[in-house]
Amino acid sequence: MFGVNKVAILGANGTMGSLSGGIFAQADIPCIYFARTLEKAKLGIENAVNQARSEVLREFIVPRTYDDLEMDLPDCDWIHEAVSENIDLKNEFFQKIDRFRKQGSIISTISSGLSIEELAQNRSSDFKSHFLGMHFFNPPGKLIANELIYHPDNSETFKKNIYEFCEKVLRRVNINVRNIAGFAGNRIGFQLLNEVAVYAERLGVDRMDYLIGPYTGRTLPPLATLDLVGLDVHRAIVQNIYQKTTDERHETFRMPEYLQKMIDRSILGLKTPSTGGFYFKDENKEICVLEPSTLKYRKIRDAKSDVIERVKRHIHDGSYKKAVSVLKNDKSEEASIARHFILGYVSFSFFRVGEVTPEENGIHGIDRVMAYGFSWMPPSGWVDFLGGPRETVRLIEEADLPVPEALRNLPEEQLCRIPDVTRFLIAA
Amino acid sequence: MQKKVYILGGFQTDFARNWTREGKSVQAMINEVMEGAFSAAKIEPVEVQAAHVGNFAGELFTMQAHFGALVLNYDPVLHGIPTARHEAACASGSIAALAARTEIEAGLRDLVLVLGVELMKSVDSKIGGDYLGTAAWYEKECRGINFPFPKLFDRIYDLYNELYGVDYEHLAQISAINYANAKRNPKAQTRDWYMSKEHACSTGEFNRAIGNTLRTTDCCQVTDGAAAVFLCSQDYAESYCTKNGLNLNDIPYIQGWGHTTAPILIDDKIEDAKKNQYALPYTRRAILDAYTRAGISGIEEISCIETHDCFTITEYAAIEHFGFAKPGEGWKAIEDGVIEFDGSCPINPSGGLIGGGHPVGATGTRQLLDACLQVTGKAGNYQVPGAKRVATLNIGGSATTNVVHIIGAGS
Repeated sequence: MFGVNKVAILGANGTMGSLSGGIFAQADIPCIYFARTLEKAKLGIENAVNQARSEVLREFIVPRTYDDLEMDLPDCDWIHEAVSENIDLKNEFFQKIDRFRKQGSIISTISSGLSIEELAQNRSSDFKSHFLGMHFFNPPGKLIANELIYHPDNSETFKKNIYEFCEKVLRRVNINVRNIAGFAGNRIGFQLLNEVAVYAERLGVDRMDYLIGPYTGRTLPPLATLDLVGLDVHRAIVQNIYQKTTDERHETFRMPEYLQKMIDRSILGLKTPSTGGFYFKDENKEICVLEPSTLKYRKIRDAKSDVIERVKRHIHDGSYKKAVSVLKNDKSEEASIARHFILGYVSFSFFRVGEVTPEENGIHGIDRVMAYGFSWMPPSGWVDFLGGPRETVRLIEEADLPVPEALRNLPEEQLCRIPDVTRFLIAA
Repeated sequence: MQKKVYILGGFQTDFARNWTREGKSVQAMINEVMEGAFSAAKIEPVEVQAAHVGNFAGELFTMQAHFGALVLNYDPVLHGIPTARHEAACASGSIAALAARTEIEAGLRDLVLVLGVELMKSVDSKIGGDYLGTAAWYEKECRGINFPFPKLFDRIYDLYNELYGVDYEHLAQISAINYANAKRNPKAQTRDWYMSKEHACSTGEFNRAIGNTLRTTDCCQVTDGAAAVFLCSQDYAESYCTKNGLNLNDIPYIQGWGHTTAPILIDDKIEDAKKNQYALPYTRRAILDAYTRAGISGIEEISCIETHDCFTITEYAAIEHFGFAKPGEGWKAIEDGVIEFDGSCPINPSGGLIGGGHPVGATGTRQLLDACLQVTGKAGNYQVPGAKRVATLNIGGSATTNVVHIIGAGS
């Protein structure tokens, strides 16, 4: 493993720049936070301090403006780029980095969608061989997954050193992923999120968030998650995936029209509190829910169903097998919808083995990114709970979903390597 | 010759979890720790003959008592076995183990489940702090006081300071070591938290004074968690080894133990301490009793320690009381690095209570489990190389109940 004595963070005023930079500073590595103005860079430092919950972090970070790149970049062993997700802007910075950086320094981009090869195409060979994508999840202080997207010119030694450094020094859970739109986590996560948004048009936002709620293995309900992500970001992610990939569930990435109308009206989620998102807090602090057909807000309906409440009671008591048994066998429409999404998620994940993560890693890379990047039950955790690969295949067939060969061929033994997966089954 | 009482391993839950946020009950926690323990120890529920449960304040935190009976909900084959819940504040888990050991030594049982459990994040920190006050003499020492326990341990700090003088940097070092150790432990509550000695020495929004001297970083965590181990007779251990292809010499057993109770009022403790060279004379006696029962001369025969660091000053005291240094000179072991992970006798390789977490009724059981993992070489990234004998110190209240176990393997 190599030593890293100084790190430059570009775009340090943004949420991901400041917080991912803070992860370097938390490893006691001196960092330079670059932004357009010193004030913005200082705001980034405040974000990092709040994430670490320690004033001591200030000692490791200095603010700078982009005017100082020429002076400071030659001293940096690592340059971490987190400017806006705009290829022209990034290219502008990469050109400067290529000019000012010292040979052998590492350049990482936090881009969640742009092609790593494309981003480096006009750069020097030393730049290319030391360039990679590092996709952190928000907030990186709590979500410790780190998707690593290597450039084809990276040497094996470089890749090994990066992996070890991120694991041991930055304390990340690494996932080697392929340079493909959405990488692993967003490709799989946003398939479900977008499909839930599609269903919400017919069944209602509050009903879908109830039916595919935390008891189905996630911290937040899906549409509340999209409010947190921001609908503009959601659009960028699913459109990018829709345009650049094809798969057995391609159409589930087509964003429903009402979402575009929401975006047109600046209904983006938590970032637009005055216009709201799927949810809106009115003047009486009451949370209302969006009606997709009218884009108006209404009171949340009591959508409770007996079967879902029964499942949640079993989870509350720690009787997980009973909870899963009810989910598997109940004939109600509610249970059927829950099965469609749980099994759809499992099916889609296993289909991606070898496409978004290396074949030799099996499902385990995808498991790690969904557990530590999304706080979702990893797909193989569901396979174990559902009764093993053969039983899961039977259920997927019964739900009229495509069956991945990668699942069909697995031995009947415990699959999931992530500890304490019961924590993802939430009865709250 | 008295027969040995063995420990066949067990399990602890991930102490970083928040079970209330997960919408789960204390029964769910019991079910998970039992599932993990049966699986880790390769024991079938039908073999268990009794269960002793350590829990401090289930009635307050969860409106649930009668914890012995909850164990039976795990599996109907357990219906009918004798069970009991034990309470001695933060030492509840160790008291449950003492009861189980006594039953086995008396020849009453061959295999007993010892389980410690506490769900604490069900209330906010102020209410939780008030509940913890019931571990002292509540009416006289805690009623109407915010966060009474840090203030009681402040009194122990004051006592030490008066007797010998205390350099706060040594307390900060204890905190930093525990946090650093916790980073190696995949079940430690603070494994992903930022911490350094500099942070522990700092004051401000992120490291507030909780008592007069003690700060946030001097305190253990509010934790949800459970731990379980199986204690068994020599006869059972022999058949267990035959069945699993193991050598009896490799199975951990209780080599020694000590158990004392100090007067509950801190004023009375301080009066007693002033007549004694040790600040916590009853803690010292429990340690010496354990050494004697184990037939060892002292700390030089211990590989590592899992001690009760509810506050940094408690571990500071333990350093002297275990015999690392003479009273008043415990700081030398801190400065020399003796207690650090790669020191000659690491303290709290697991992260202890400050780094690992302190689900009150589970801590004593968790310490026993960690001792077993260490002497069997199964502690993973926080394994102390070559550990053969481990001491645990579990304290209830303001150093009121003191329980020491010495766990070893090999001849």
